Amino acid sequence: MKYVIIGNGIAATCALEAIRRLDSHGRLTLISDEDNLPYSRPLISHLLAGTLPAAKLPLRPPSFYDDLGVETVFGHRVDSLDPTAKTVRTTAGKTFSYDRLLIATGGDPRGLAVPGHRLPGIFFLRRLADVRQLLPLVGEGSEAVVLGGGLVGFKAAEALRCRGLRVTMVIRSPWPLALQVDEFTGRLLLDRLRQHGIRVLLGREVKEFAGRERLAKVVLDDGREISAGLAVIGKGVRPAIDFVPAASIKTNQGILVDECLQTSVADVYAAGDAAEMWDLAYQEPRVNAIWPEAAAQGLTAGRNLAGRRARYPGSLGRNVIRFFTLDLLTIGRTNPPPDGPYRQLTAAAPDGSWYRKLVLHRDRLVGAILVNRIEDGGILQAVIRQQRLLRLPPAKLLDRWSWSELWQL
Amino acid sequence: MKKVQVHPERCLGCRQCMFACAAAHSRSQEAVGALAEQPRPRARVHVAAAGRHYLGFPNRCHHCEPAPCLLACLPGAISREPATGTVMIDPDLCINCASCAMACPFGVLRYAADWTAPAAKTVAIKCDNCLDRQLAGRLPACVEACKTGALTFEESDVALERKSREVARSLAVDGERETLLPPTVALLLEMKNGLAASNDAADQ
Amino acid sequence: MDKQAEQRTITRDGQLLLGKMAKEQVETVWDRLAAQQPQCGYCEMGLSCRICAMGPCRIDPFGEGPQKGVCGADADIIVARNLGRMIAGGAAAHSDHGRDLVEVLAAVAAGEAPGYQITDEEKLRRLAAEYGLETDGKDTLVLAGELAAALQEEYGTRKGYLTMTGRAPEKRRQLWQAQGISPRGIDRETSEMMHRTHMGVDNGWQSILLHGLRNALSDGWGGSMIATEVSDILFGTPRPGPNTVNIGVLKEDQVNIIVHGHNPVVSEMLVQACEDPELVALAREKGAAGINLAGLCCTGNELLMRHGIPVAGNHLMTELVIGTGAVEMMIVDYQCIMPALGALAPCYHTRMISTSDKARFPGMVHREFHPDNAAELARELVREAVENFANRGETYIPVQAVPSVGGFSVEAILDALGGTPKPLIDAIVAGKIRGAVGIVGCNNPKIKHDYGHVTLTKKLIEQDYLVVDTGCAAVANAKAGFKVAEAIRYAGPGLREVCGSLGIPPVLHMGSCVDNVRILVLAAALANALQVDISDLPLAGAAPEWYSEKAVSIGAYFVASGVYTVLGPLPPIAGSMNVVKLLTEGLNEVVGACFAVEPDPLKAAELIMGHIEGKRRALGLTARD
Repeated sequence: MKYVIIGNGIAATCALEAIRRLDSHGRLTLISDEDNLPYSRPLISHLLAGTLPAAKLPLRPPSFYDDLGVETVFGHRVDSLDPTAKTVRTTAGKTFSYDRLLIATGGDPRGLAVPGHRLPGIFFLRRLADVRQLLPLVGEGSEAVVLGGGLVGFKAAEALRCRGLRVTMVIRSPWPLALQVDEFTGRLLLDRLRQHGIRVLLGREVKEFAGRERLAKVVLDDGREISAGLAVIGKGVRPAIDFVPAASIKTNQGILVDECLQTSVADVYAAGDAAEMWDLAYQEPRVNAIWPEAAAQGLTAGRNLAGRRARYPGSLGRNVIRFFTLDLLTIGRTNPPPDGPYRQLTAAAPDGSWYRKLVLHRDRLVGAILVNRIEDGGILQAVIRQQRLLRLPPAKLLDRWSWSELWQL
Repeated sequence: MKKVQVHPERCLGCRQCMFACAAAHSRSQEAVGALAEQPRPRARVHVAAAGRHYLGFPNRCHHCEPAPCLLACLPGAISREPATGTVMIDPDLCINCASCAMACPFGVLRYAADWTAPAAKTVAIKCDNCLDRQLAGRLPACVEACKTGALTFEESDVALERKSREVARSLAVDGERETLLPPTVALLLEMKNGLAASNDAADQ
Repeated sequence: MDKQAEQRTITRDGQLLLGKMAKEQVETVWDRLAAQQPQCGYCEMGLSCRICAMGPCRIDPFGEGPQKGVCGADADIIVARNLGRMIAGGAAAHSDHGRDLVEVLAAVAAGEAPGYQITDEEKLRRLAAEYGLETDGKDTLVLAGELAAALQEEYGTRKGYLTMTGRAPEKRRQLWQAQGISPRGIDRETSEMMHRTHMGVDNGWQSILLHGLRNALSDGWGGSMIATEVSDILFGTPRPGPNTVNIGVLKEDQVNIIVHGHNPVVSEMLVQACEDPELVALAREKGAAGINLAGLCCTGNELLMRHGIPVAGNHLMTELVIGTGAVEMMIVDYQCIMPALGALAPCYHTRMISTSDKARFPGMVHREFHPDNAAELARELVREAVENFANRGETYIPVQAVPSVGGFSVEAILDALGGTPKPLIDAIVAGKIRGAVGIVGCNNPKIKHDYGHVTLTKKLIEQDYLVVDTGCAAVANAKAGFKVAEAIRYAGPGLREVCGSLGIPPVLHMGSCVDNVRILVLAAALANALQVDISDLPLAGAAPEWYSEKAVSIGAYFVASGVYTVLGPLPPIAGSMNVVKLLTEGLNEVVGACFAVEPDPLKAAELIMGHIEGKRRALGLTARD
């Protein structure tokens, strides 16, 4: 059996391990345009902040690929896939045939197609290589602009602030993390950003990156100019699936997969940020480009590749951040449409020390926001995942003392 | 393989397991010394107040397979100790990101400083099956402390068999008895029930 | 309205203040109860023993863990010892309170207690005669000194019996003798309980419990009875009079001073000081319209009974009253004063003063009262309270006070009846009044505040059972509006007719928790009039929301005196079925009465009515099924 895995993120890593556990003889080939051991992508912002040495990034020992007997093809990006011939080809023209294929190519950061976007000094925060290029530039006192108020924007802003830079965040939405949180939480985050000396401009977009040889200032859509030698773009990621033949393999935002992570074509699987699967909270297919989803999907995909039928009932968006002593956990659908069958319950400490919001679709829990007191968040995630009717008054879930009643669910 | 088994119907909520657990995870490994330590050792088992009668429920890590926390851990600090299946956290690798709390369906993770972690570093903390004690031939601290058998250390199938026998015995003695509880405990529960019912009635 | 607050108390003032304090993030007793959950099951069942250093020990009620403590004590012994010590704690509290009053009586006699006086000389002479003192023509203060000495003697008496047990019916005294539970001294029985429950002394669970009854009798017919009688001598025997209750008794425009605790020795001096024209003038100068004294808990009941001083609330209101922001000073003596108060008061402007040499509290300023300095110190404190009026912030007094009538001492009840118990007996015989029930005891956050008291009382008076009450139960019923003459509209037709013709409410406020002895005296008077034992009478007692050791002692002396008593919360005895059975059944064979436990007040009412109808049947009176 010939297995080909494209990508070496966490989905690929978990898949490799799962395959090898079930099939000790099959031939494993891994193709990746990066050239390192699997590392923890979410940790690269810690590297940027200087709170973690690069040595802590690898997730597996150096002998990892050898131990599993994996043939690695590093530095190669796949540019075409022929599901009929069961082959993939890289940009360098190398062709690999497979019996079963896993596409775990992840995502590429979305760029900003405005004048000057190719100037040196403009970065993404996606790969280890990005941070390696950024690090020499993060001198104390210099100016940086972070574009985007999503998770990457947050992490970039926090890390640069830790390095002593003066940081301006430019956010298109009316509050930070608008995809994940409601306005109330957004305001809390905004306060926290500003308390820590980060300038935040809301409802603004970049019109132009200006500078002669390298970035000197960022021009906004209201004409305002921010001088900065450094800009980090955090506008989300796009599944890296350009090479996938849309004629045969069904795609939407990402590659559509079933609960076994199989694509519309037999023997071709996808997992992680490149895959789009049924979302338990939204009840429609979605790309949830998050680490734990990639790990779980990779594990399930690997088992299926190895011939064991394993199901993963659906994905669920979720995020946890600890941002300057504020803990925020979001799960599932947190900003439902105001009309329709959704209900929202909230509770908050009078002094703002914690906040909790639950979103219900009829009598099923589909989303939650927890600000501080997040230790029990996993229980809520499990409740959402199980998609069961709540048998106790949902308001009880807002109350810390009633958590244990969940055991009766 | 022997594992810690939880029998919540026997929990009296005394929290002796929490105390013993915290002490066992201190540097000095005994109670008086533990109380003097900085950072204070934390319990890895949590007796929650369960249900409307606030009965005890000893909540501890299930060492799930596959373990959602292990899959979700960003820095790869969570691993499985192969001999006992124990899910372990490496405090040196842990970055206190709370991804494991978001993943754990049982809500057992806590975050605190610990003597096994670098100084002043907050790390994720949870049950480690008292592996050190097991290696020394001792019971996990919570099991040793529990006097009612709500926490036992035994093979899963043995625990199951014992449970089946208990049920069979209770049915043989008195077919109508709905509960396995001894009369004294049943009385306490009945009174607590009465109290709760009375308060419920008062709410209406 | 705050849903959580509604689940915690039935009282409107309590709900509103809880809502306010929750918003202000001020912690209360309910929050601390929630934080304690789950409470230790061994302790709830009485199965943990901390008496000696071979322990601590606990017995596994599931039968697989240890069944014996280190010493070998089993569940029965451990449960009995624990309960015995609870009774000893309660008896000690009441009796020591009594001793403090006797000391004031002695100081008055010696002329060393300025401000105090003999108010009820007739009672002084009556009691002196009861103690065998020559009273004729004797100077009042001389007699007071002799009586004080005789009463002090009662605590450690060598005569082998307590004089006031003579008030009990002959049959009852014989029964006590026969069962070996006749109390032989006030301090002695408490001391002996501590001795018996020491490791290696009494390991018969039955004999420990029987001694528990004797210990409780030393309180009911000893320490507590002395406390009540001497309070009457010093401060006057209560007479019915109007008063007001609940948080609404606080005045927006006046200096509010709260007395909290149990002993009238301190609070009576404050009554005088608050009326001092010089201090009232000072209050006016500071912009207040006057000085308003109000009570909490039993010291509040003492003042209500004798002076019609308003009562702001009972046990669970003690924190909330401070939350009004309208209390300039709270002065406490002892018993049932939550140590949380000291930490709570700084959230508002309230000054907290502790007064007893034996009761100190964190966060309170200690200003010790003694008979010789009390009058002066009371004036000083009132002055400081008046000065604190300027520091008042926003206030929140969300309800109007409820009118009530208190002051039903035994003497007052007999007066209302025309001097003899006969009209009451006639009404009972005729079935207009089915019987009488003493509803007593505390508040306990495990039971919705005041729900137990008010629900039980309402049910009983609806069915023509006369209710007499004391302590926190009495305050609950007053707040519910059961204590005005018009409250007969809540009563059944028979009770309505009798109370209506006498002009009394269907629920009679008999005083503080030591004043439960007034109920004993009344019961004894009825039994003597009918020449039967107390246990033959259509009577019952109930403590629907009890929490304290004192309540355990009260319950035990009620039962030992022949009164069937229903407890709301279960005492820590569930760990021993033997003990449970003895207390709830077996004691009938021993003292002709027993305990019952029923947290639901409606079910408790059924138990009580069933019991009383049974007693009526046995007396040959009409009985309901």
